[in-house]
Amino acid sequence: MKMFRFTGKYLWLFLGPTLAIITIFFIIPVFLTLLISFTDMDYAFEWNWIGLENYIRMLEDQWLPKILNNTFFYVFVTLTCFNVGMALVISILTTHINEYVGSAFRAIWLLPRITPSTVYALLWLWASREDAMSLFNWILGFFGMPPINWRLHQPWLLVILVNGFVGVSFGMIIFTAALKSIPNDFLWAAQVDGASTFQVIRHVELPLIKWPILFVLAYQTLSLLTSYEYILLVTDGGPGFFTTEVWALRSYHLAFAQYGGRVYFGYGAALSTILVVIGLIMSILYLKLFRFRELIIEPKIEVQ
Amino acid sequence: MIVLSTKSPTVTLIAVALIALIVGVVIGYMIPKAPTGEVVPKSEYDKVLAENEQLRSKVEELQKKLEALGAKEITIVVWTIGPDPPSEYRYKNFEIAAEVLNKWLTLMGSNVKVKVEGEFFVRPVEWKEYKNKFYMAAKAGKAPDIYLTGHEDIGFLADNNYIIPLDDYIQEYWDVVYYDVIPTLWKAVEYKGHKWAIPQDTEVRPLYFRKDILRQLGWSEEEIEALPKKIQNGEFTLEDLLELAKQAKDAGLVERGLVHRVKEGYDYFQFYLGFGGRLWDPAQGKMVFTKSAWKKTLEWFYRAVYEYEVISPTQFSGDWDKDFHGPFTQGKTLFLSGGSWHKGEWISKGLLTEESFKENVGFALHPAGEAGLKPVTLSHPLIYTITKQAADRGVADVAFMLITLVTDPHLNANHAIASSHLAILYSEILDSRYTQDWFLKDVAYMLDYTTFIPNHPNWGDYSRVVYESIKAVEGGESPEDAYNYMLSEIQKLGDVFIIED
Repeated sequence: MKMFRFTGKYLWLFLGPTLAIITIFFIIPVFLTLLISFTDMDYAFEWNWIGLENYIRMLEDQWLPKILNNTFFYVFVTLTCFNVGMALVISILTTHINEYVGSAFRAIWLLPRITPSTVYALLWLWASREDAMSLFNWILGFFGMPPINWRLHQPWLLVILVNGFVGVSFGMIIFTAALKSIPNDFLWAAQVDGASTFQVIRHVELPLIKWPILFVLAYQTLSLLTSYEYILLVTDGGPGFFTTEVWALRSYHLAFAQYGGRVYFGYGAALSTILVVIGLIMSILYLKLFRFRELIIEPKIEVQ
Repeated sequence: MIVLSTKSPTVTLIAVALIALIVGVVIGYMIPKAPTGEVVPKSEYDKVLAENEQLRSKVEELQKKLEALGAKEITIVVWTIGPDPPSEYRYKNFEIAAEVLNKWLTLMGSNVKVKVEGEFFVRPVEWKEYKNKFYMAAKAGKAPDIYLTGHEDIGFLADNNYIIPLDDYIQEYWDVVYYDVIPTLWKAVEYKGHKWAIPQDTEVRPLYFRKDILRQLGWSEEEIEALPKKIQNGEFTLEDLLELAKQAKDAGLVERGLVHRVKEGYDYFQFYLGFGGRLWDPAQGKMVFTKSAWKKTLEWFYRAVYEYEVISPTQFSGDWDKDFHGPFTQGKTLFLSGGSWHKGEWISKGLLTEESFKENVGFALHPAGEAGLKPVTLSHPLIYTITKQAADRGVADVAFMLITLVTDPHLNANHAIASSHLAILYSEILDSRYTQDWFLKDVAYMLDYTTFIPNHPNWGDYSRVVYESIKAVEGGESPEDAYNYMLSEIQKLGDVFIIED
């Protein structure tokens, strides 16, 4: 049977709403950001065109390489350890045990996500306080270790844990759903062939959820690239100069977070534009790496 | 007499009362008129009369204008912020003023009503969100008519046409109330030769200390009471502060020596001023960066954190309650660099009582950096501005009338007393409630040592660079690196700064 294809007016009827939403909420903002990055816009909201000045300023900014490094470090570690890594581990483990227990475990991992972000960050701040009675130092005390100021001595650990615990839930839900949709016949067949649990995971389950892994990886990379709110709340980019400052946080600091009311929308937008470009490159790389084209071609066999 | 004695007691009583009345009237007629000129000074009496008369004629003028507009109800939108809750009269006073204005309008036979709408923002809304909201709203054509902000924004607001100059109004209403405004405050609202706003309040920023801890350190009551004076005379410097804080910490009496604000702000400029730094050069209209003072300030903060260990290295990413109010009100820190409004906040939040504050808390200027320099404090008057959009809507007159009505000794004292801010009017200082507030009276001398921050559009840049640098030093960067960062960022801003040694 040949697949039915929409053409003519039906094509636009069905694509129209999506196209409109994408244009209004995705394409126009990117375009606007790009335009603003060529101005020195501040709270006066004037379109003073200054050419490439913001980009030149960026090249002259001695701190940006450090901030860029921070960004890649933050995205890579959080992604591999938590948003994809931990999410995968939890999904596989909880789908291989009793279903009720597995669901309960997954529900627990959703808690950080459903806690309002400021409350969640505050809990971490309290748990990591420098005084001996804070949760982390109390645990250290159990092992006879002296209390430490976590925000000062382990800022990255804190930043990654805070973000990671929130970030797990998304991948966990997607992976669990994907794992549960694998027909049992495959798993049974593998077991009949004598595959161990590990081999089932390695050779059956993981290849079958390649597409969800790609999706989560790409999506979470972009989302981490532009995320800064927990870093803002926990370390505010400190301690010291830009120790945990990431690209998006720098953009936020310059564009919005000025106590004295002086803001740099233009420069902030230029920083954001670079982030968009990085995001685009990463997405394309992922699509190539996971051979996305092969995943979406029409099946070579037809199942009636 | 015989006749009287034969009548009933009631008749006798009435007769006596009548005679007394006649005698009273005769005496009253014979003595001179009430001595207004002697008991209440005549000048004072005439002044109040004149003020009332002026105000009445202004309301009359306003009434005519309002009727010409043809509207039945005129809404004035007012935005104000605490962000600390006790400052609610910044908004509430407008509601009271509108009520008064409406009563007058009714008495004058007008059927126009003035209505006040708007908001008083409190934490978690901080200043930056509040300002952000204003600029966005203004750009969307939805600015409030009256906008409360810090005086340092005037340069930017004026340059970009967000607010209107108020010189003519102030001139016109001068005799009603504005002659009474403490003159230095006018300096805070001036920019490019115009007055752009009306002062709402001001404050001083004291260095608070715990008397109970000093007692435990063996200080006598006399020594404790003399500390503010010693600071005022420059005999107790920022060095001494470090020593004393360390002493208290080493003795195990406190967990920290000094707490300062946990977010960006202007308080720590006081340390720079204490080291002899300058902020503003009025002659050239430029901001000033005094190199030596900034070097010393950054070194002082570094030593405070890493040598004396009296400031927490993560104070700046701390929590207002757990790292600022809590430690001080619970006696876990010796010093707190705060503002006069904090006294009001602690008492209204129940963290301290009036008695425990009096018993255990002392307050002084921020000490001089070193011997021979001067102690300091900082004032940051808040101001009411009238937006361009109010003028475009034709309601600037009403808005200014409301501002004039809230700039009233009694109404402003509501705010000053509830929130521990300082008076803006001379007659407010004489308000009976204000004179009874011992704290406001006792901090008033600090105004002689105060500095305002500059009304410059680039002030926010200065503030950001300083905040980033001090935060970095506390987080472990060397004072030299922080100084170099600071200087290079300031140099990038170019001509708006005078960089002096």
